[in-house]
Amino acid sequence: MKQSLIRPALVLALAATLSACGGSDDDNYTVKGTVSGIVYPGAVLTTNGMDLPLGVPATPGGTVSFEFPNKLKYGDEYDVQFKSYPANQSQCGSLANTIANNKDTAGRLADINITLACDVDAYALNGTITGLTVDGLVLANGSNTGTLTIGKETTTTPKPYTFTMPVVQFGVSYNVVVVTQPAGLTCSVANGTGVMGAANVTNVAVTCVPN
Amino acid sequence: MKNSYLRAGAALACALALSACGGDDGELLLGGYMSGVTKTGLVLTNNGGSDYAVQPLNGGAGSFNFPELISTDDRYSVEVKAMPSNVERCDVEFGSGRAGYHVSSIIVTCILKRHALGGPVSNLKSPLVVVNGSDRVEIPAGATSFKMTEVPEDSPFGVSVLTQPAGQTCTVSNGAGLMGTSDVSNIAITCTP
Repeated sequence: MKQSLIRPALVLALAATLSACGGSDDDNYTVKGTVSGIVYPGAVLTTNGMDLPLGVPATPGGTVSFEFPNKLKYGDEYDVQFKSYPANQSQCGSLANTIANNKDTAGRLADINITLACDVDAYALNGTITGLTVDGLVLANGSNTGTLTIGKETTTTPKPYTFTMPVVQFGVSYNVVVVTQPAGLTCSVANGTGVMGAANVTNVAVTCVPN
Repeated sequence: MKNSYLRAGAALACALALSACGGDDGELLLGGYMSGVTKTGLVLTNNGGSDYAVQPLNGGAGSFNFPELISTDDRYSVEVKAMPSNVERCDVEFGSGRAGYHVSSIIVTCILKRHALGGPVSNLKSPLVVVNGSDRVEIPAGATSFKMTEVPEDSPFGVSVLTQPAGQTCTVSNGAGLMGTSDVSNIAITCTP
């Protein structure tokens, strides 16, 4: 008789304990975090069937906080991804994903705090050189990326003779200039100044003529 | 009497010899990350020991390591003894401590001297946009001079017209070069009537 009372009591206690850890009113885990580097509009994050558009921070490129509206249960898996990237920022998340906890199980950590990062897309700044018969030409993109010393064109140089400046981010101005003229030559630059668009620049033309 | 002097002398010699080789027979690297080191001249010391002449790096930033290795439990204290001529100052962070393993946490930050970049403008009747790389400046109509963002010493520069003013064509002379040890004020912008 006594025994039979104890048994249901145990079952009840067990059930109560179970509901405390896995129960349906225990949606306690908010998927939240920060994204740094957003400069252009259009970012949408997604996880667990929720989409969350992100704006551009007051200081473009600064950090924005995000928080998905519906909380997760203990044990739910989440995987925060960019459903769409900000315009001109297709590199979003790729770097951060390798170090950030964007994908995990709710409850494994006391707090979900995801850090993501965006970079503005960069494009090539390339061009061609003609008439460079001696060494000593030094080019630069303003004060941005140091100098690029270019050797003379030889019989084995692939034609056309091309040069590659460090890449430039979308929307940023550039100007390829001659910092040092080679001895006996005067080199001039055509198409060297502009604002980087959404495509590689390949038409910078450096032409050298004897003095 | 003599003997005791000798003994003390021997002990001293021994101590000196030990301290002299103390730093050299270790197996741990002592170094970290530096920035702003674009030319030779930076000399670091550890515990006031021998000079470490740091080689500049392309772009001025990267890792450095003292040529001498240190040992576990060695105390280290890194100081700047001399600076490159093109910097205002070089600061050391996390420069002292006791080695548990390789030390790669020392941060040396050199702040480059910067100089003004600009010159006279003549006959400008509507706004003109000039650039030095990513630095973009709009020069208003009627301006008689202009200034770009200051440029680090020894850095290249190039001022070019990005957007010509309405109805005029402006040209830049002395627009490109390497920043020296004083301000550049002879970049002349001349616009057609």
